[in-house]
Amino acid sequence: MNQAAEGKTYEPVPFDVSEDRVNAFHDLFGGPPGVPPTILTAAEFTVFPVVMGDPELALDFRNVVHGSQEYEFHRPVHLGETLTVQARIASIRHKGGNGFLVVEMRLNGVDGEMVAIARSTMIERAVSA
Amino acid sequence: MSIRLQDLRVGDALPALARTVTREDVRAYADASGDQNPLHQDDDVARMVGFSGIIAHGMFTMGHLGACVAAWVGDPANIVRLSAQFRAPVFMGEEIVAGGRVRSLDEETHAVVAELWVTVERDGKTEFAIRKGEAEVRLPN
Repeated sequence: MNQAAEGKTYEPVPFDVSEDRVNAFHDLFGGPPGVPPTILTAAEFTVFPVVMGDPELALDFRNVVHGSQEYEFHRPVHLGETLTVQARIASIRHKGGNGFLVVEMRLNGVDGEMVAIARSTMIERAVSA
Repeated sequence: MSIRLQDLRVGDALPALARTVTREDVRAYADASGDQNPLHQDDDVARMVGFSGIIAHGMFTMGHLGACVAAWVGDPANIVRLSAQFRAPVFMGEEIVAGGRVRSLDEETHAVVAELWVTVERDGKTEFAIRKGEAEVRLPN
Protein backbone atom coordinates (compact mmCIF):
# COMPACT_ATOMS: atom_id res chain seq x y z
CA MET A 1 0.00 0.00 0.00
CA ASN A 2 1.06 3.48 -0.77
CA GLN A 3 1.32 5.51 2.43
CA ALA A 4 0.89 8.73 0.44
CA ALA A 5 -2.76 7.83 -0.23
CA GLU A 6 -3.58 8.53 3.42
CA GLY A 7 -6.15 11.32 3.65
CA LYS A 8 -7.39 10.92 0.10
CA THR A 9 -11.12 11.54 -0.38
CA TYR A 10 -13.36 10.18 -3.10
CA GLU A 11 -16.30 11.60 -5.04
CA PRO A 12 -19.57 11.47 -3.08
CA VAL A 13 -22.02 8.88 -4.41
CA PRO A 14 -25.78 8.67 -3.74
CA PHE A 15 -27.37 5.66 -2.08
CA ASP A 16 -31.13 5.09 -1.92
CA VAL A 17 -32.44 3.42 1.22
CA SER A 18 -35.08 1.78 -0.95
CA GLU A 19 -37.82 -0.57 0.16
CA ASP A 20 -36.38 -3.28 -2.10
CA ARG A 21 -32.99 -2.99 -0.45
CA VAL A 22 -34.41 -3.03 3.07
CA ASN A 23 -36.67 -5.99 2.19
CA ALA A 24 -33.70 -7.92 0.81
CA PHE A 25 -31.91 -7.50 4.16
CA HIS A 26 -35.04 -8.44 6.12
CA ASP A 27 -35.56 -11.53 3.96
CA LEU A 28 -32.00 -12.62 4.72
CA PHE A 29 -31.63 -11.73 8.37
CA GLY A 30 -35.12 -11.25 9.80
CA GLY A 31 -35.26 -8.86 12.73
CA PRO A 32 -37.90 -6.32 13.76
CA PRO A 33 -39.42 -3.76 11.34
CA GLY A 34 -37.27 -0.73 10.53
CA VAL A 35 -34.04 -0.12 8.64
CA PRO A 36 -31.45 -2.73 9.71
CA PRO A 37 -28.13 -1.21 10.87
CA THR A 38 -26.00 -3.18 8.43
CA ILE A 39 -27.89 -1.78 5.44
CA LEU A 40 -24.95 0.65 5.49
CA THR A 41 -22.78 -2.11 4.04
CA ALA A 42 -24.73 -1.75 0.80
CA ALA A 43 -24.17 2.01 0.97
CA GLU A 44 -20.43 1.47 1.42
CA PHE A 45 -20.33 -0.80 -1.61
CA THR A 46 -21.36 2.07 -3.88
CA VAL A 47 -17.79 3.36 -3.38
CA PHE A 48 -15.78 0.56 -1.80
CA PRO A 49 -14.64 -1.17 -5.04
CA VAL A 50 -13.37 2.20 -6.31
CA VAL A 51 -11.21 2.64 -3.18
CA MET A 52 -9.94 -0.96 -3.17
CA GLY A 53 -9.02 -0.75 -6.84
CA ASP A 54 -7.53 2.74 -6.72
CA PRO A 55 -4.11 2.55 -8.45
CA GLU A 56 -2.87 5.38 -6.20
CA LEU A 57 -3.57 3.24 -3.11
CA ALA A 58 -1.83 0.24 -4.73
CA LEU A 59 -3.50 -2.30 -2.47
CA ASP A 60 -2.67 -5.95 -3.12
CA PHE A 61 -6.34 -6.88 -2.84
CA ARG A 62 -5.72 -10.61 -3.41
CA ASN A 63 -4.19 -10.67 0.06
CA VAL A 64 -6.71 -8.48 1.81
CA VAL A 65 -9.03 -9.57 4.61
CA HIS A 66 -11.69 -7.60 6.41
CA GLY A 67 -10.33 -7.06 9.92
CA SER A 68 -13.07 -5.08 11.59
CA GLN A 69 -16.08 -2.90 10.98
CA GLU A 70 -17.81 -0.13 12.86
CA TYR A 71 -21.03 1.81 12.29
CA GLU A 72 -21.83 4.95 14.23
CA PHE A 73 -25.31 6.44 13.85
CA HIS A 74 -25.88 10.15 14.46
CA ARG A 75 -29.57 9.71 13.76
CA PRO A 76 -31.71 6.78 12.56
CA VAL A 77 -31.62 5.96 8.84
CA HIS A 78 -35.05 6.49 7.27
CA LEU A 79 -36.71 4.23 4.75
CA GLY A 80 -36.91 5.94 1.36
CA GLU A 81 -34.24 8.58 1.98
CA THR A 82 -31.21 9.17 -0.20
CA LEU A 83 -27.85 9.27 1.52
CA THR A 84 -24.64 10.69 0.11
CA VAL A 85 -21.66 8.42 0.69
CA GLN A 86 -18.19 9.92 0.79
CA ALA A 87 -15.15 7.75 1.34
CA ARG A 88 -11.84 8.83 2.82
CA ILE A 89 -8.66 6.91 3.47
CA ALA A 90 -8.48 7.61 7.19
CA SER A 91 -5.22 5.83 7.90
CA ILE A 92 -2.58 3.45 6.58
CA ARG A 93 -0.33 1.66 9.05
CA HIS A 94 2.25 -1.07 8.67
CA LYS A 95 2.90 -3.52 11.48
CA GLY A 96 4.62 -6.89 11.50
CA GLY A 97 4.70 -7.07 7.73
CA ASN A 98 0.94 -6.50 7.46
CA GLY A 99 -0.70 -3.33 6.24
CA PHE A 100 -3.73 -1.88 8.01
CA LEU A 101 -6.03 0.32 5.98
CA VAL A 102 -8.91 2.23 7.55
CA VAL A 103 -11.53 3.47 5.11
CA GLU A 104 -14.00 5.89 6.64
CA MET A 105 -17.26 6.77 4.96
CA ARG A 106 -19.52 9.64 5.90
CA LEU A 107 -23.16 9.18 5.11
CA ASN A 108 -25.07 12.44 4.90
CA GLY A 109 -28.75 13.21 4.44
CA VAL A 110 -30.14 15.37 1.62
CA ASP A 111 -29.76 18.53 3.68
CA GLY A 112 -26.12 17.73 4.38
CA GLU A 113 -26.57 16.62 8.00
CA MET A 114 -24.41 13.72 9.10
CA VAL A 115 -26.43 10.52 9.47
CA ALA A 116 -23.75 7.90 10.07
CA ILE A 117 -20.07 7.04 9.84
CA ALA A 118 -18.83 3.65 8.64
CA ARG A 119 -15.28 2.52 9.34
CA SER A 120 -13.76 -0.55 7.70
CA THR A 121 -10.35 -1.88 8.64
CA MET A 122 -8.81 -3.97 5.89
CA ILE A 123 -5.67 -6.01 6.50
CA GLU A 124 -3.21 -6.50 3.65
CA ARG A 125 -1.46 -9.65 4.72
CA ALA A 126 2.24 -10.15 4.28
CA VAL A 127 2.93 -12.52 1.39
CA SER A 128 5.12 -15.39 2.52
CA ALA A 129 8.03 -16.07 0.25
CA MET B 1 -41.38 -5.92 22.24
CA SER B 2 -38.78 -3.51 23.50
CA ILE B 3 -36.43 -3.81 26.42
CA ARG B 4 -36.60 -1.24 29.21
CA LEU B 5 -33.61 0.17 31.04
CA GLN B 6 -35.08 -0.62 34.46
CA ASP B 7 -35.33 -4.31 33.55
CA LEU B 8 -31.66 -4.61 32.54
CA ARG B 9 -28.64 -5.49 34.67
CA VAL B 10 -24.94 -5.54 33.82
CA GLY B 11 -24.08 -9.09 32.79
CA ASP B 12 -27.52 -9.90 31.34
CA ALA B 13 -27.32 -12.07 28.22
CA LEU B 14 -28.86 -11.04 24.91
CA PRO B 15 -31.13 -13.78 23.52
CA ALA B 16 -28.84 -15.86 21.28
CA LEU B 17 -29.74 -16.07 17.60
CA ALA B 18 -28.68 -19.09 15.51
CA ARG B 19 -28.79 -19.79 11.80
CA THR B 20 -27.23 -22.16 9.30
CA VAL B 21 -25.32 -20.46 6.50
CA THR B 22 -26.09 -21.73 3.01
CA ARG B 23 -24.67 -21.05 -0.42
CA GLU B 24 -28.03 -19.53 -1.43
CA ASP B 25 -27.89 -17.11 1.53
CA VAL B 26 -24.39 -15.96 0.63
CA ARG B 27 -25.35 -15.58 -3.02
CA ALA B 28 -28.40 -13.51 -2.03
CA TYR B 29 -26.22 -11.44 0.31
CA ALA B 30 -23.79 -10.63 -2.51
CA ASP B 31 -26.69 -9.17 -4.48
CA ALA B 32 -28.25 -7.36 -1.52
CA SER B 33 -24.97 -5.79 -0.37
CA GLY B 34 -23.20 -5.34 -3.69
CA ASP B 35 -20.14 -7.25 -2.44
CA GLN B 36 -19.47 -9.55 -5.39
CA ASN B 37 -16.01 -10.71 -4.24
CA PRO B 38 -15.54 -14.19 -5.82
CA LEU B 39 -14.06 -15.48 -2.54
CA HIS B 40 -17.70 -15.79 -1.45
CA GLN B 41 -18.99 -17.37 -4.66
CA ASP B 42 -16.32 -19.40 -6.39
CA ASP B 43 -14.81 -22.43 -4.63
CA ASP B 44 -11.75 -22.40 -6.90
CA VAL B 45 -10.94 -18.80 -5.94
CA ALA B 46 -11.42 -19.66 -2.25
CA ARG B 47 -9.08 -22.67 -2.56
CA MET B 48 -6.42 -20.52 -4.22
CA VAL B 49 -6.19 -18.46 -1.03
CA GLY B 50 -6.11 -21.52 1.20
CA PHE B 51 -9.74 -22.18 2.21
CA SER B 52 -11.51 -25.50 1.66
CA GLY B 53 -14.32 -23.71 -0.18
CA ILE B 54 -16.18 -20.41 -0.24
CA ILE B 55 -16.62 -18.53 3.01
CA ALA B 56 -19.41 -16.18 4.07
CA HIS B 57 -18.79 -12.44 3.86
CA GLY B 58 -17.68 -11.06 7.23
CA MET B 59 -20.51 -8.61 6.75
CA PHE B 60 -22.97 -11.46 6.30
CA THR B 61 -22.05 -12.62 9.79
CA MET B 62 -22.27 -9.05 11.07
CA GLY B 63 -25.67 -8.71 9.37
CA HIS B 64 -26.83 -11.67 11.43
CA LEU B 65 -25.34 -10.09 14.56
CA GLY B 66 -27.13 -6.82 13.73
CA ALA B 67 -30.44 -8.71 13.51
CA CYS B 68 -29.73 -10.27 16.93
CA VAL B 69 -29.16 -6.80 18.46
CA ALA B 70 -32.18 -5.28 16.67
CA ALA B 71 -34.43 -8.11 17.90
CA TRP B 72 -33.16 -7.51 21.43
CA VAL B 73 -33.77 -3.73 21.44
CA GLY B 74 -37.00 -4.06 19.44
CA ASP B 75 -36.31 -1.12 17.13
CA PRO B 76 -33.16 -0.79 14.99
CA ALA B 77 -33.49 3.02 15.23
CA ASN B 78 -32.29 2.72 18.86
CA ILE B 79 -28.89 1.37 17.80
CA VAL B 80 -26.33 4.19 17.85
CA ARG B 81 -23.18 2.13 17.34
CA LEU B 82 -22.35 -1.38 16.14
CA SER B 83 -18.88 -2.84 15.72
CA ALA B 84 -17.23 -6.20 15.12
CA GLN B 85 -13.84 -7.82 14.69
CA PHE B 86 -13.68 -10.69 12.20
CA ARG B 87 -11.60 -13.52 13.62
CA ALA B 88 -12.52 -16.76 11.85
CA PRO B 89 -14.05 -17.74 8.50
CA VAL B 90 -17.54 -19.26 8.23
CA PHE B 91 -18.01 -22.12 5.76
CA MET B 92 -21.17 -23.23 3.99
CA GLY B 93 -23.46 -25.48 6.03
CA GLU B 94 -22.11 -24.24 9.36
CA GLU B 95 -24.30 -22.87 12.12
CA ILE B 96 -23.46 -19.44 13.49
CA VAL B 97 -24.75 -18.25 16.84
CA ALA B 98 -24.89 -14.53 17.67
CA GLY B 99 -24.92 -13.48 21.30
CA GLY B 100 -23.79 -10.89 23.78
CA ARG B 101 -24.08 -9.50 27.26
CA VAL B 102 -24.74 -6.13 28.82
CA ARG B 103 -21.53 -4.39 29.79
CA SER B 104 -22.76 -1.04 31.04
CA LEU B 105 -25.90 0.98 31.68
CA ASP B 106 -26.24 4.72 32.00
CA GLU B 107 -29.30 5.80 33.97
CA GLU B 108 -28.97 9.41 32.83
CA THR B 109 -28.49 9.03 29.08
CA HIS B 110 -30.29 5.67 28.82
CA ALA B 111 -27.30 4.34 26.90
CA VAL B 112 -26.68 0.61 27.13
CA VAL B 113 -23.45 -0.95 25.89
CA ALA B 114 -23.33 -4.67 25.09
CA GLU B 115 -20.37 -6.85 24.26
CA LEU B 116 -21.09 -9.07 21.22
CA TRP B 117 -19.83 -12.18 19.51
CA VAL B 118 -20.71 -14.78 16.89
CA THR B 119 -19.55 -18.35 17.44
CA VAL B 120 -19.27 -21.42 15.25
CA GLU B 121 -18.62 -24.98 16.47
CA ARG B 122 -15.87 -26.59 14.41
CA ASP B 123 -14.00 -29.85 15.09
CA GLY B 124 -15.29 -29.91 18.65
CA LYS B 125 -14.05 -26.39 19.33
CA THR B 126 -15.82 -23.06 19.63
CA GLU B 127 -14.44 -20.59 17.11
CA PHE B 128 -15.27 -16.90 17.15
CA ALA B 129 -16.30 -15.67 13.70
CA ILE B 130 -16.79 -12.32 15.43
CA ARG B 131 -15.40 -11.30 18.77
CA LYS B 132 -14.99 -8.07 20.68
CA GLY B 133 -18.09 -6.75 18.96
CA GLU B 134 -19.92 -3.94 20.63
CA ALA B 135 -23.32 -2.30 20.38
CA GLU B 136 -24.45 0.90 22.01
CA VAL B 137 -28.19 1.43 22.13
CA ARG B 138 -30.25 4.35 23.45
CA LEU B 139 -33.48 3.27 25.04
CA PRO B 140 -36.53 5.54 25.05
CA ASN B 141 -37.47 7.08 28.39
